[in-house]
Amino acid sequence: MAAATAGGADERLAYRGPIQQLLTRPEIGALLGLAGVWLLFWLTSEAFGTAGGTANFLDVAALLGIMAVPVALLMIGGEFDLSSGAMTGATAVFVILMSREVGELGGAGFSLHLAVPLSLCFALAIGWFNGTLVERTSLPSFIVTLGTFFILIGAKLGFGKLFTNKVIVEGLDEAQGYAFWDDIFGAEWLRNQHIWDGRDWAWAGLLVLAGAALLLGLLEMSYTRRADPSPWAAAGAFIGAVAVPLFGFAMLLTTDGTASNWLWGAVIAAGTLAGVAIWCMSRYEPVQRRRAPPDSRTMRMIAIGVGAVVVAVVLALVMDATNTDQLGFLGGGLGRAVFAIGIAATGVLAALAATGHVRSSAPVVGVVVALLPAISFMMTVQAARALLFSGLAVAGVVALMLVAARTDLSLWLPMATAAIVAVAAFVVQAESESRKLRVELFSVLLLIALALAATAAARALARRRSTAVPVPQMGLWPHVGGAAGGAAAVVFAVIELIDGDGLLYALSTGAAKGGAIALGIFAVGTFCRLLFSNDEGMGRPLVTVGLAAAGLALAVKLMFITTLEEEATQAVTRFRVSVLFYLLFAAIGAWVLAKTRFGSWTFAVGGNKDAARSVGVPAARTKTTLFMLVSVCAWVAGMLIAFRLNSVQANVGDGNEFRYIIVAVVGGNLLTGGYGSAIGAAIGALIWGMISQGIGFARWNTDWRFLVLGGLLVVAVIVNNYVRQRAERSQAARGDPDDDEPPGDDAGAADESVSAGAEP
Amino acid sequence: MSDPLIELRNISKYYGNIIALTGVSTTVNPGEVTCVLGDNGAGKSTFIKILAGVHQHDEGELLLEGEEVKFSSPRAALTAGIATVYQDLAMVPLMSVWRNFFLGAEPTRGFGPFRQIDIEKAKQIAKEQLAEMGIDIRDTEQPVGTLSGGERQSVAIARASYFGARVLILDEPTSALGVKQSGVVLRRIVEARDRGLAVIFITHNPNHAYPVGDRFVILNRGHSLGNFAKENISQAELTQMMAGGAELEALQHELAAH
Repeated sequence: MAAATAGGADERLAYRGPIQQLLTRPEIGALLGLAGVWLLFWLTSEAFGTAGGTANFLDVAALLGIMAVPVALLMIGGEFDLSSGAMTGATAVFVILMSREVGELGGAGFSLHLAVPLSLCFALAIGWFNGTLVERTSLPSFIVTLGTFFILIGAKLGFGKLFTNKVIVEGLDEAQGYAFWDDIFGAEWLRNQHIWDGRDWAWAGLLVLAGAALLLGLLEMSYTRRADPSPWAAAGAFIGAVAVPLFGFAMLLTTDGTASNWLWGAVIAAGTLAGVAIWCMSRYEPVQRRRAPPDSRTMRMIAIGVGAVVVAVVLALVMDATNTDQLGFLGGGLGRAVFAIGIAATGVLAALAATGHVRSSAPVVGVVVALLPAISFMMTVQAARALLFSGLAVAGVVALMLVAARTDLSLWLPMATAAIVAVAAFVVQAESESRKLRVELFSVLLLIALALAATAAARALARRRSTAVPVPQMGLWPHVGGAAGGAAAVVFAVIELIDGDGLLYALSTGAAKGGAIALGIFAVGTFCRLLFSNDEGMGRPLVTVGLAAAGLALAVKLMFITTLEEEATQAVTRFRVSVLFYLLFAAIGAWVLAKTRFGSWTFAVGGNKDAARSVGVPAARTKTTLFMLVSVCAWVAGMLIAFRLNSVQANVGDGNEFRYIIVAVVGGNLLTGGYGSAIGAAIGALIWGMISQGIGFARWNTDWRFLVLGGLLVVAVIVNNYVRQRAERSQAARGDPDDDEPPGDDAGAADESVSAGAEP
Repeated sequence: MSDPLIELRNISKYYGNIIALTGVSTTVNPGEVTCVLGDNGAGKSTFIKILAGVHQHDEGELLLEGEEVKFSSPRAALTAGIATVYQDLAMVPLMSVWRNFFLGAEPTRGFGPFRQIDIEKAKQIAKEQLAEMGIDIRDTEQPVGTLSGGERQSVAIARASYFGARVLILDEPTSALGVKQSGVVLRRIVEARDRGLAVIFITHNPNHAYPVGDRFVILNRGHSLGNFAKENISQAELTQMMAGGAELEALQHELAAH
């Protein structure tokens, strides 16, 4: 993303593939974690993947994310706000106390039309106080906001009890103007049994579209275009490669039975591979073969990869698929003994490591042993089965793909990998009780196998880009699609409003329909440009289309219930307005950080405040604004809480400040400031929401919730840190291929600060 | 002859009862390199801080194009066209080259709340300006922390000259660099001079100062040891004066006696 746009391509800039570019983003670790966590709970719980489950974890994520985004911005700016959690509760308490009759001290309460704006001013004042105090005194924000934290806690309890004699303040719904503000902060969208028979067709079509667009986008980004491409051959290949799988898919959906499944599966595979082959041959330069004989390391990795997949498949077949109990393999005295041995080993090994007798990582062995009994109590058989199967299978496939990418072993290894994934898909299908695993995971695995095979075919036929980075050209179509989609959204929303539906329902329905129309126009336009124009830089628009189509496919899958699943999802699904605020704030945060002067200044004051000030950045104003941004978002969160419950405990929100910070760190933000991403923080909130709700959905023992959360957070941070370090190293190495000057000392220092900062 | 761009007459600065700088005079002209030399604690930092608006002088006169001025803040000095490249470079290592280049003065487009940085334009200009200085940055999205010390100095100099600086103050730009990279920075100084900028080059290394300088101010313990045009002083004399010639001679005698 970054390299591709640098004011005209630089021919010495070695081409970095789309994947490598993605890996240098700060939020990549969080993104991978998100995918992993979602997959884990989706595999182990029936309810998690439904609309109801999604609404459930989205709500938790939303209240967290609304705060995590500004907290992340503040952290990038080099400061903390420990009062952010208490502030959410304080604004809620404030608005209720202002609006109701408060004991002997007050007369009639204010109207909410006055009280709500007043509470915003209250929040702004706190933010200003924090920011100004930190700036004026140059004290660490940690200390200053700790003071504010206690002041707010005390004020909430003190004033609450003074006016109402209770630790809970209530009665917001009796205030004047409640209906108006409840529409904004308390809105929710109830939804049950939304049935659409076309769901499976839309899902299949969108999936094929997404697959085609992503695949073509990757090809376009990765391979060198011919000087004389033959558009008609390419167009034929494209149409064949989309039409044949679509037809196969349609037949798959309408027929049943093993024989027809095999037949149409083979049709899909053959059509796709043939299409990709013709496309590559007619459009890209032919590959220049170089063969490296596999060395012993390669062979070892191949053995490991194949072994992992085989073990995964065997495990899935051997382990009981119907047992829903806890694992419990280390109970009673045995469990206690194992635990004791583990702890003892850890202690002894730690002592030995400290005195230099064993390696410093040796105590990890003891920790793993000590954890075994805990895992056996915590996890169900099915969870362990899913974890082992998916973990081993993914590890094996990744190992094989790494070998394939490193050593150019022609075609057979990636093809074999694809075949392995296909076999895994059939294992899943054959042994599964659940329709979800039987149909959905099966199809997804087959799609992955197909994608692996297709990219392998392309690798064997087309030459990699070695030099020029194409500048991405979105073209005219996003604007056309956006305009048409926007207009359609308004029309649909108005129709729903006239029909008498609620505002939130009208807005979301209109937005969804408008979005689908915009995507359709954008997709058609992009594909036309791809086929009938000579434009370069088509990779990014294609990937955009693919991702949007995939998102829409997922939404279709989640939001619409076919008659088959009707009974399983009787429960009312409740989407709250908090989700809209969450998405909005994440988008605004990302935009501010990446595109505005204020965002640049935020990075600068966090990265090197003196430098920023000396080139004319208003550092004090920037930091104070960041503190006020946190307090404004705390106000929004407070209003959401107040209008949801209508009564607020005095201690609500206290202690959440650390969650905001943790979530921001999981999202790839540096504790020491100067580096990070708002989207990362939003994703971190989503991960937290998924884990904290998913444990319940998966019927794991919820007593262990915090242990699991803590463990997963540690893992997330370590993975995040590792990925970023790798990415930065590759970027730094990329920096001086033909440079005879050694890199400056600060490069090393920056690297160190990165690694130090991400270990909380 | 018209007034020099900057003229200092008997500038003095006191921190309480400490005399940081006393009686320093020199002139700075466009297209000339004025070198300020001195050992540690000689008052070099105070000297540039007065010019850069960080501190204000207590005595003497600071004339900008013949008019007396006193810069109240770094911003005021910048507005007058005096840009300072500090030793620690005033760069944010984790930020990209183009963001650093335009930090504090980002070009924007759009209006009202939708105003955003014109990123394409910023990258384009940064790349062009750096190319003009002879630095070919491969990718302006690269973090500054990954550049070499000489490259970073070059970026800072290019930034200062792009934003309309008429006077470029360089604070010990070569002190942390190796021989080869110092050469790169000295070349940038000459290039900036040839583009008509007035350069004030602060250093404690006469070997770096002499080849590029047109005029030399030598400071020792807050006092000016003189203000020489290049033709009036040789490199050997420069080295000797700067090291506190008399003291060095005394040391030599002392050592010889043993």
